Amino acid sequence: MAYQATRNRRIFLLFLLPVIAVLFLTTIYPMLYAGWLSFRNYDLAKPFIPRIFVGWANYAEILSSGTFLHALITTLKLMAMTLSAQLVLGVGIALLVTQRLPGMGVARTLLLIPMMISPVIVGLVWLFLYFPELGYLNYFLSLVGLSGIGWITTTNWALWAIAIADIWQWTPFIMMGTAAALHSLSPEPYEAAMIDGNSRWDVFWRVTLPQLKPVLISLMFLRAIDAFKIYDIIFVLTKGGPGDSTEVLSMFIYRESFTFWRMGMGAAASFVSLAIITILVTFFFKSLNRDRSAVE
Amino acid sequence: MNKPSTRQAILIYLLLAVVLIVFLTPIYLVASSSVKPAPIMFQKPPAFFFTPTWEHYHVLFTERPFLKFIGNSLIVAFGSTAISLVFGSLAAYAISRIRHRRMNDFAFWILSLRMFPPITVVVPYYIIFKTAGLLDTPLALIIVYSTANIPLVVWLMKGFFDEVPSALEEAAMVDGYGIIETFWRVTLPLAAPGLAVSAVFCFIFSWNEFLFALMLTGSKAQTATVAVMSFWSSDAVQWGRIMAGSFIILIPGVVFVLTCQRWLVRGLTMGSVK
Repeated sequence: MAYQATRNRRIFLLFLLPVIAVLFLTTIYPMLYAGWLSFRNYDLAKPFIPRIFVGWANYAEILSSGTFLHALITTLKLMAMTLSAQLVLGVGIALLVTQRLPGMGVARTLLLIPMMISPVIVGLVWLFLYFPELGYLNYFLSLVGLSGIGWITTTNWALWAIAIADIWQWTPFIMMGTAAALHSLSPEPYEAAMIDGNSRWDVFWRVTLPQLKPVLISLMFLRAIDAFKIYDIIFVLTKGGPGDSTEVLSMFIYRESFTFWRMGMGAAASFVSLAIITILVTFFFKSLNRDRSAVE
Repeated sequence: MNKPSTRQAILIYLLLAVVLIVFLTPIYLVASSSVKPAPIMFQKPPAFFFTPTWEHYHVLFTERPFLKFIGNSLIVAFGSTAISLVFGSLAAYAISRIRHRRMNDFAFWILSLRMFPPITVVVPYYIIFKTAGLLDTPLALIIVYSTANIPLVVWLMKGFFDEVPSALEEAAMVDGYGIIETFWRVTLPLAAPGLAVSAVFCFIFSWNEFLFALMLTGSKAQTATVAVMSFWSSDAVQWGRIMAGSFIILIPGVVFVLTCQRWLVRGLTMGSVK
């Protein structure tokens, strides 16, 4: 088709134009605006005070104050808690549901349901379970002889309460991706490993897991990105409390912007978060591209 | 892998039963609590057999305008799905067919837009829509959700377009079709499953979304997710109607899982796992 390539390319660019226009208006422009805002003292609660240019003051305040750093650390803590649990449980359940036994397909389908539920509904359901005095979770725990826990009312447990809701919703994601990958593995290495007389555990550890690695890395990356976004579940369960025990980055930005109405601070905090995520994303794509060119 | 022995099978089924109970109990609780009379809502042990009541649903649709909120959710979800599909699949086709070394970077740029935390753009969106007089209108949410959905459509559809054999397109061109005709009459019909999957994902995302809906709407354009959250109040806990609303909201997602679960992997991983 090379002879008509140039004419075609012009038409293809026409196909691209609407998306470029829309995405420019809805992402680049708001980001530029946020950038402008982050250098200003913009207090929505005091609309008559001019939005003066304050230089790097917002950034300086964020980076020097302990609260932002605390929110960043809480985000990373929550990420570590949810990702590690989802990885172990997700791979474990995937190994169960890929066994050649009747009924596995149905089980797999049913396990996918939590992912498609609105996070705010997930939050409400778990609030129902955690609810002080009334919730069913402590009752279920008492059935197996465990004492009740102040899930969302104590600083020790609130982050776990959020992590458990997230783990419940997204373990199926790792399960689903891993199960799909397990089905596409080639059987030869297994036959070889079995002939060599390795135990099941050895085979899993030395043959299965290395083959799953690329898929697992992709899945965990997507989860890591989502862990930075987490908002709805926390909004419903704890709103960042008690104290600041569950105040993650998104709650910090929300509070600065819509509780204290300090839009400039909120924008500056957004930008610092964006910078962190951009580094994460770039790093991942770089390594992805490197893997791909290594294969080619 | 070998077929498990009977003993192993029993162990597997036992473990699986535990897993299923853990993952399905919360969903069962939503369904059962939505028809449970208020006095036994938190009764322990939980009542499995009781006379279901429709009072919570009744309150939802008579005392509260929940139908209107569902209507808003539907308008926003269908609107943003349509826009995302049109714009997204056009761009995906171009990205799939243009051979240029920068094209990959462009595709990744689009993908990266989906990775930013929504909260970081809430402030600018809020101010921009306020200035434009679009706060509390479905249009504001349609715009925002389309922005979030277009990258997903682009990546999913790119994968589907890549799979359409180029011989078919070349044959169409030999028959005198232009690019646009080829796209419309040959390629797009072949990628129809992709369009269906993309549509469902866009719809579910918009239907489920909460943060932007909370920030950008008031009483007029409020969507169902925000409405359900608003039933929550610290003095009187209206769990019955919260659960009834929640159950209605989770229906589309559950139907989606039960009908087209084989596409879930591809959609949720943006085509990176097929």
